[in-house]
Amino acid sequence: MELQIRDVSKTYPNGVQALKDVTLTIPAGMYGLLGPNGAGKSTLMRILATLQEPDAGTIHLGDLDVVRQKDAVRQTLGYLPQEFGVYPRVNAEELLSHFALLKGIGERRARKEVVEALLRQTNLWEVRRQKLGGYSGGMRQRFGVAVALLGNPKLLIVDEPTAGLDPAERVRFLNLLSALGENSAVILSTHIVEDVSELCTRMAIIDRGEILLEAEPLGAIDEMKGRIWRSVIDKGALDGVEREHAVISTRLLGGRTVVNVYGGTHPGAGWEPAEPDLKDVYFSTMAGHIGRRRGQLEVAA
Amino acid sequence: MKLLGIFRFEFAYQVRRLSTWLPFAALAVVAFLFIRENVVTDALYADFYLNSPYIIAVATVFCGLFWLLVAAGVAGEIAARDVETGMHPLTYTAPVRKAEYLGGRFLAVLAINALILLAVPLGVVLAVYASGVDAQIIGPFRPAAYLTAFAFLALPNAFLGAAVQFAWATLGRRSVASYVGSVMLFGVVYGGIFAVMYFLENQALAVLLDAFAHLTIVDMTLGWTPIEKSTRLIGLEGALLRSRLLWFGIAVAALAFTWARFRFEHLAVRPWWSRFLRRRDAHAPTPAGGELARGPISVPRVPQTFGWATRARQVMDIAWTSFRVIARSRGGLIVTVPMAVIAVMVLPEHMQDQGTPLLPRTEYVLSFLTASLTNPFTVWVIIPMLTLLWGGELVWREREAGLGEITDAAPVPEWVPFLGKFLGLGGVLAVWMAVLMMIGILIQLSLDYHRFEMGLYVKVLFGLQLPQYLLFAALALVVQGLVSQKYVGHFAALIVYAFILFAGQLGIGHKLLVYGAAPDWYYTDMRGFGPSLGPWRWFMLYWAAWALLLAVVARLLWVRGLERGARVRLRLARGRFTRGTIVFGAAAAGLVLGLGGFIFYNTNVLNTYRSAAGVLEVRAEYERRYGRYADVPQPRLAEAQLRVDIHPRRRAAEIRGTYHLVNNTAAPIGTIHLAPAPSVRTTAVTFDRPARRVNAEDGLWHHVYALGTPLQPGDSLRLSFTVHHAPRGFRNGAFDPVLSVTEASTYFRSQDVLPAIGYQAARELLKPGERRANGLAARALVPTLADAEAGQDITGQSMSTRERIAFEAVIGTDADQVAVAPGTLRRAWTEGGRRYFHYATEARIGSYSFFSARYAVHEERWTPAGGGEPVTIQVYHHPAHAANLQRMLRSVRASLDYNTRAFGPYPHGPVIRLVENPGRGMGAHAEATTIDYTEGFSRYNPGGDPRGLDMPFAVIAHEMAHQWQVPHAYAEGAPLLSESFAWYAAMGAVEETYGREHLERLRRFFRQPGPIPPIRQSAPLLRALDPYAAYRKGPSALFAMSEYMGEQRVNLAFRRVIEPHRTASLPGATSMDLYRELQAVTPDSLRYLLQDLFAANTFWELATERASAKQTAAGAWEVTLRIKARKVTVDPAGKETEVAMDEWIPVGVFAPTGQGADFGETLYLRSHRIRSGPQTLTVTVPKRPSDAGIDPYLLLIDLERFDNVEEVEIEG
Repeated sequence: MELQIRDVSKTYPNGVQALKDVTLTIPAGMYGLLGPNGAGKSTLMRILATLQEPDAGTIHLGDLDVVRQKDAVRQTLGYLPQEFGVYPRVNAEELLSHFALLKGIGERRARKEVVEALLRQTNLWEVRRQKLGGYSGGMRQRFGVAVALLGNPKLLIVDEPTAGLDPAERVRFLNLLSALGENSAVILSTHIVEDVSELCTRMAIIDRGEILLEAEPLGAIDEMKGRIWRSVIDKGALDGVEREHAVISTRLLGGRTVVNVYGGTHPGAGWEPAEPDLKDVYFSTMAGHIGRRRGQLEVAA
Repeated sequence: MKLLGIFRFEFAYQVRRLSTWLPFAALAVVAFLFIRENVVTDALYADFYLNSPYIIAVATVFCGLFWLLVAAGVAGEIAARDVETGMHPLTYTAPVRKAEYLGGRFLAVLAINALILLAVPLGVVLAVYASGVDAQIIGPFRPAAYLTAFAFLALPNAFLGAAVQFAWATLGRRSVASYVGSVMLFGVVYGGIFAVMYFLENQALAVLLDAFAHLTIVDMTLGWTPIEKSTRLIGLEGALLRSRLLWFGIAVAALAFTWARFRFEHLAVRPWWSRFLRRRDAHAPTPAGGELARGPISVPRVPQTFGWATRARQVMDIAWTSFRVIARSRGGLIVTVPMAVIAVMVLPEHMQDQGTPLLPRTEYVLSFLTASLTNPFTVWVIIPMLTLLWGGELVWREREAGLGEITDAAPVPEWVPFLGKFLGLGGVLAVWMAVLMMIGILIQLSLDYHRFEMGLYVKVLFGLQLPQYLLFAALALVVQGLVSQKYVGHFAALIVYAFILFAGQLGIGHKLLVYGAAPDWYYTDMRGFGPSLGPWRWFMLYWAAWALLLAVVARLLWVRGLERGARVRLRLARGRFTRGTIVFGAAAAGLVLGLGGFIFYNTNVLNTYRSAAGVLEVRAEYERRYGRYADVPQPRLAEAQLRVDIHPRRRAAEIRGTYHLVNNTAAPIGTIHLAPAPSVRTTAVTFDRPARRVNAEDGLWHHVYALGTPLQPGDSLRLSFTVHHAPRGFRNGAFDPVLSVTEASTYFRSQDVLPAIGYQAARELLKPGERRANGLAARALVPTLADAEAGQDITGQSMSTRERIAFEAVIGTDADQVAVAPGTLRRAWTEGGRRYFHYATEARIGSYSFFSARYAVHEERWTPAGGGEPVTIQVYHHPAHAANLQRMLRSVRASLDYNTRAFGPYPHGPVIRLVENPGRGMGAHAEATTIDYTEGFSRYNPGGDPRGLDMPFAVIAHEMAHQWQVPHAYAEGAPLLSESFAWYAAMGAVEETYGREHLERLRRFFRQPGPIPPIRQSAPLLRALDPYAAYRKGPSALFAMSEYMGEQRVNLAFRRVIEPHRTASLPGATSMDLYRELQAVTPDSLRYLLQDLFAANTFWELATERASAKQTAAGAWEVTLRIKARKVTVDPAGKETEVAMDEWIPVGVFAPTGQGADFGETLYLRSHRIRSGPQTLTVTVPKRPSDAGIDPYLLLIDLERFDNVEEVEIEG
């Protein structure tokens, strides 16, 4: 089932325009929505999850109109919000069973079966009788996944799922998500580039409410080949480099600064070609060297 | 200063918030309404200023109680915001000390609440100075009045309330805990006061416990004169100061405890005590959770269904969860436990009347356990209040737990959680009803009463009370569901509830306009539910339809997702207009319209509906239009012949009557003014001579007929009429108890059904404020004594004082009922399946009543001791209400004995009847040949009276004495001839039957401040009208005269007043007639006392300051009394004048007391000459004395009744 987002806009009462004419096509599989904090990812995700209303535009999930046929959409929707709480004095089994009932699994035996399966899959079976108030962040996040998976959703919306997880848990969690992508359309919003590069077959980069790039991660990286150059410089020299070159990212390495620049041609001595990765795609897009912002920058210039 | 910094930040933050200004506005409105609705009329009536310090203080205290509830959120928010918003990791780790952190915040709580409480003076000022108030009740503006009330009452209350709320919320780490703190404080204070008053009977301690100065202000100002009430400032002194200090200390202790217990720590999930309960759980290791499954996630494919079965399961699941959440929460069902304990302990103490215990019959116990939703004056407002809180908690449960987004995205229509939560809340309310039922049964058990009427309990609590609460629960959920901010939601719901409670005071009287309102149902043993359930059901159905409609609105506008703006929500609502919703909504709207229309048809078309103001207007218009006929000479009613047909099953009655009117005046009478009774339909008015109606029908119940030939002096005419009473549908008001024809029983009074002759001044407006509001000139409450002395015609001045007539009636009823009317039963027969009774009076009678029910009849015969006509005593009672039958009969016999000897033969022929009268009241009431007593009277259980006082005996003796009472004029001083006389005579019967000690018990009851408190500023007895004069001071004065000069003389005076009226029809007697006869029998030496007691409003202030004794050489004891004496007269304005004393007053010395008695053996009792001021007396007694004092039996009117007698100190 394909998710079609056409010209969706949303402006908050305080004047912030969270989405500007967003148009995306999201096929089955893992889809990454990458962007900095405040880019409008969560707004888009909540709109897809029927919790917010777009000011304009249409969204279709197959034949369903997401804005108008909310009830029908909710029947095939799994949603893991960026932040959520739990009833601290209820145990995982009870609460999951409650949500299973809300998702239309009315028959008691079926519900029991589903709850057990999901708790085992998310590795919470051992602690199913423990009160949720005592869960760690990772356990709670996995519980959220279990809730999202109830009812075999066709559309799974996962908003910033790895924020706040420790590295080991993040790995486990990404494994879980990758397994999911085989059954349904999974939209993963994140500001961590690695999440996308490791998981997603398609992705979009969003910033200030606009989609800057829609691509397949591997293809996008391919296209960057020969355009990224790297140099290791002293901290003090950065200002000069920035004046002369299109710097897309810097990072520290052993007290010195590693600079990546974008350029069609070799920038000169001291620069070596770098093997591009998704980060370079992301930063180039944000900096306006590729993607939708490129044209805008030229106009502005 | 960090403390100041924290304070400034909090204050600045809160002062910008709506949650501060909403309570402010609410408080201002309450203060405004309090003054306008409660005080304006009082002030007009009682002659004190609207803006007097007294009123401002009372308003401050009252609004303070309201503040406790509405503003609790402020303290909660400030105390728990950090934890609730998750800010606490930042604030707790800041370098701030506990004292600074808590202190700054508490100061902010205090400052914000002080600001909110400023709304009270603002509301008062607005109420006083905004237009619409009579300028003459506005006194000068005195800032001190507002300042003292604010500083001495509002601020200390705020300090205490805020401290408790703050402590609760800080330690509970939840803002809602502050409400719980408020409720607990309220419960502890009023529970404590209650307990102290009823178990320890210690008023002083109760006042000390009065944290909100509520009782204290009432207590303090009880004795204030109107002048004092207008001018005197509330001072911080005495009891007020003591209780303020005590509670200030408690508040400081609460804050100190908070400081000691508070920790800058991360919130532990479990409360501290759970460590002891669930050790296993608490120490279970937290599994890390191993590697996740590698392969694709496989969740078993199970069917998802979204049909009715699933919806039902979802609803039930949510209902059960909601029920459990409330049941287990701290402010949840657990509160029923202390409530039940208090109720079972306290209520039995309350089940008494005038100190006599009452049998806890189920209908009576239920009256304590139930209350209409619209009644603000009951402890059960706690149930709707808690429902509001619970509703909020349920609606906000998901969002507060952070699960809102997940649940909102679940494929569940909005009505499922709404219905589920409603059912959960309903379950909790049902448990409450079960708890109430248990309380009732425990109360009955504790009073050793075993006739539990389980069916009645279930029917009333679950069938009648629960539906009202369920309606309210639906409303609470709807309001909370529509408002997107929790505390604003609480607040909105509270406002809605306040509207329900006080709609009447706001002038909204029609029950179609007040959610959940219905004409009250009633239940008594005799009447059952009668016709009260029918209208109640219709109104409930109507409100249920509204609840459905509200539920539809709630579904459409239910807050779901993250959109809060009104426009977006309306757009979403449009999306929720499914076919089902439209059909459902249309059905609900149709029901509302249909049922509402049906009710309106009943209340406003079949019956006339008038608002409270409308009723007054009609009465004013009556006076305006017909008042000019007040002095037009009219013939007097001499005889009434009636045919009364009662149809219990149809709840109808028809009376065909003929009046015999005589022209007693000296001039011919050409027009007859007839005043039909407003509550019935009067038709077929005909005269035995040509006559025609000359005024048009104007709905004012005044007919004017012009006679073809005038009625000559001394001539008489016959007037016939028919009166119809039949229910036409039902009314907006409660079932009319004055005119009650039901299937089980019938009771109505002549003045409520039969037409009267002449203009009826009794229908005029009485209260000065109401008269002024309707543009009428002031009038005296009753004719003055001087007018009555001048022989003015007083017919029509009072509903119950009418001309005295010869009466004859045939009264028919159903075959299984007995009908009662005044007079001798001439004949009884059955005809056409109905029973008929023919009654006729032997002597002329005043007002009278009719009864019909399935009575059990007891009959016996009394013969006068000295020979003479025997009297048949009949008691018509409900078969199950025979507990006091013998006691009442004994009283009737004793009264016949005593009164016959004292005042002459029983005046009403060969029969006296006691008739039980359906209804909830306690009272008994006497008419000629008939004493009726309400069902409550049969609940008296004097066997359990700790005072050993036979109250029903005394009350029946009082009513019996009314049979001898002289026909009197309706004028000032009239109560002396009726109520005072009746109690005086009853005291004689009590003493004769039970002895002097029992009489002293009755007199001790008379001296108690309740139920009739002493009134100092009043007229002398000869002109007094107030209940204290009528029921307490009058009998005491008569008794004092009888003690000073002998019972015979006083009785002789009464006999001489009564005697002339036995045979001739004379103008009504006045208090002056009695006074003249009393003067005639009083020896010259006691004339001063007669004058002091009756012609002046005199109070004696007699006190024994010290009594000491030493043994003489002869072995006798010499007792020395240091006495202080003073005598004052008080005028109605409260002005006191001291009168010099030089009079004989008894002095007594007593041996040690035995059990229960006031005094032991009387060692000395003789009158001494007492003068004003301090003086010393010495008397010698043969035995060792224990108590000594002046006027030991309190014959004189002395309001300080505990200082007359002191314990004797033995010297040497």
